[in-house]
Amino acid sequence: MTNITLEDLLVMEANCDRDESVDLRSLDYVSSYDDHLMCPICHCPFIHPVRLKCDHVFCQKCLVSAITTFAASRDDFTCPACRTPTGGVYLKLPRLLVNMCDEIRVRCPFRSEGCEEVAPRVFIQTHVDKYCGYRPMDCPLGSCGLKTRKKDLDPEGRCLHELHQCARCEGNIMEQDYKEHVDELCPNLQTTCPDCHTTILRRELKQHADSCPESIHSCAASKYGCRIQLKRADLATHEQTCPLISMGPYFDAQNARLDSLELTVRHLKQRNEIFDDALANIRTTLAQSPTASAGPDDRATTSTPPRRNNNDLTSPNSQSQIDSSNQYTATTTNYLLSLHESLREEVGQLSHAITDLDARASMAIMSECLRIKEDMAHTNAAVSSIRMQVQWLLNPRLHQHQSSQRTGGVRTGTTPGGHTPTAAAGPSTSAIPLRPRRLSDSGREGTKL
Amino acid sequence: MFATKRLSKELLKIKEHLPPGISIVKSDNLEEWLMDIKVLDENPLYLNETYRLKFTFSNKYPIEPPEVQFVTTPAAADENNATATTHPRRTIPIHPHIYSNGIICLDLLSSAGWSPVQTVESVCMSIQSMLTANSRNERPPGDKDFVSYNRRRPRDINFMYDDDNV
Repeated sequence: MTNITLEDLLVMEANCDRDESVDLRSLDYVSSYDDHLMCPICHCPFIHPVRLKCDHVFCQKCLVSAITTFAASRDDFTCPACRTPTGGVYLKLPRLLVNMCDEIRVRCPFRSEGCEEVAPRVFIQTHVDKYCGYRPMDCPLGSCGLKTRKKDLDPEGRCLHELHQCARCEGNIMEQDYKEHVDELCPNLQTTCPDCHTTILRRELKQHADSCPESIHSCAASKYGCRIQLKRADLATHEQTCPLISMGPYFDAQNARLDSLELTVRHLKQRNEIFDDALANIRTTLAQSPTASAGPDDRATTSTPPRRNNNDLTSPNSQSQIDSSNQYTATTTNYLLSLHESLREEVGQLSHAITDLDARASMAIMSECLRIKEDMAHTNAAVSSIRMQVQWLLNPRLHQHQSSQRTGGVRTGTTPGGHTPTAAAGPSTSAIPLRPRRLSDSGREGTKL
Repeated sequence: MFATKRLSKELLKIKEHLPPGISIVKSDNLEEWLMDIKVLDENPLYLNETYRLKFTFSNKYPIEPPEVQFVTTPAAADENNATATTHPRRTIPIHPHIYSNGIICLDLLSSAGWSPVQTVESVCMSIQSMLTANSRNERPPGDKDFVSYNRRRPRDINFMYDDDNV
């Protein structure tokens, strides 16, 4: 990477006279190119690109013109793209970038002269220098001052701009165009008609084509089905005998009649449609009035609209009034019916939901009851076992008590301070009234389990 | 020569695609173009308004900046009747850096602030954003005097670019 100062770049640009007759910036670019390959100053794909320190790339020529126009002193110059002060210029760029710009295809600059060459941009200079036959060259005769296409140049170096008079059309033609004129373009050139093979002048060819007796035309009655195609000369005789030609006027008249009939039919059809519509309207009116009179049977219709309908039917003063009133009642009836229907549906849904709930609730109650019953049975069992135990425990005491009563019955009668037996009997006497309470207690505990 | 090549390339591109709010009105020669710009946000100063910019290119474009100023349509009507009748009137937008004769005080358009990488599109966008950012409903100080006495072309006027806010 060589880094040179701006001053050096300017000097280099001034000294460098590249041998370039082709202005690459004004070429017609055929292939589309990426915007990143475009010099931001001239908007062309880079031509001899150079790079600044800030990594922005420009054509060398564009950068030089920017430097000379802008900077008061070279040190002030900033990058046109990002305004970073630039110290120097890198002349070498990645080959990739250069190649991408070089291979963009362009048209030969002498396309207007007839050159159809399309080549990569890097080769177009060589093409113009060496191969392009359409490049205008100075006339070998210095005093002439006109140009000649390279391929037309006279090998002996004569001037080809001398005017020659065409022997046929008497126009003045330059020598370089003379051959082409004589061979192809002269209006007085003789050509042969492709149909009749007679020789005629080029400028008359068009008129001749309309009248050439040999050219093939179809019979005038071809639109009525005559398939005969003949030369113009024979066609006249054919047309005299062609049956379809003689029928022609008749066919035309028939066609006209058919057209007018079709038109009438179309009109009638339209009218018919209108009548059909009207008839259908009337029919619906009539059909609705009986159903409306039978209205009270219908749950949804109110009793007033049918009565009005009956009135209208008995005194048919205006058709439209019936229609409108009928339509009105019909729509309201329909509306009410639909409302009714939807309400009925809702009620049905509700009753369903209720039975559902009912079933669920009874099931829950049933299961709860079962559980409670089981608990009760458990409790009963527990209570009876406790009772058994209590009785078993009480039995000896009772026996003891009975025996002590038997003995103590004498004693109590004698000693009022007989404390011990009463104290001993205390629990036994209290155990009897306590029994029901314990039962309820244990029962309660059982339900909690 | 340089200018025409560059401008024809820009024109090709502009006709293909333009950013929103910018449209090309007249570009039949490569010396003077008319562009329409709209302010796209809800700025009440420029709501629903379209303004017309006139670009005048020297033959040293893009090395030298183009002359850009706002124009009113009745002035342009003599050369372009069709656009004048089919479009509503164009006015000069109110802005502290735009004189009522359409001259714009923008450093980008001076030879000091110009850079050859700018394009017609980028200038339009800069002016668009300059309008968008403005909230002051006023003309530059001394607008009346400047407008009545100025006979110079915009490129010959030395502006002081002192306001960085807009």
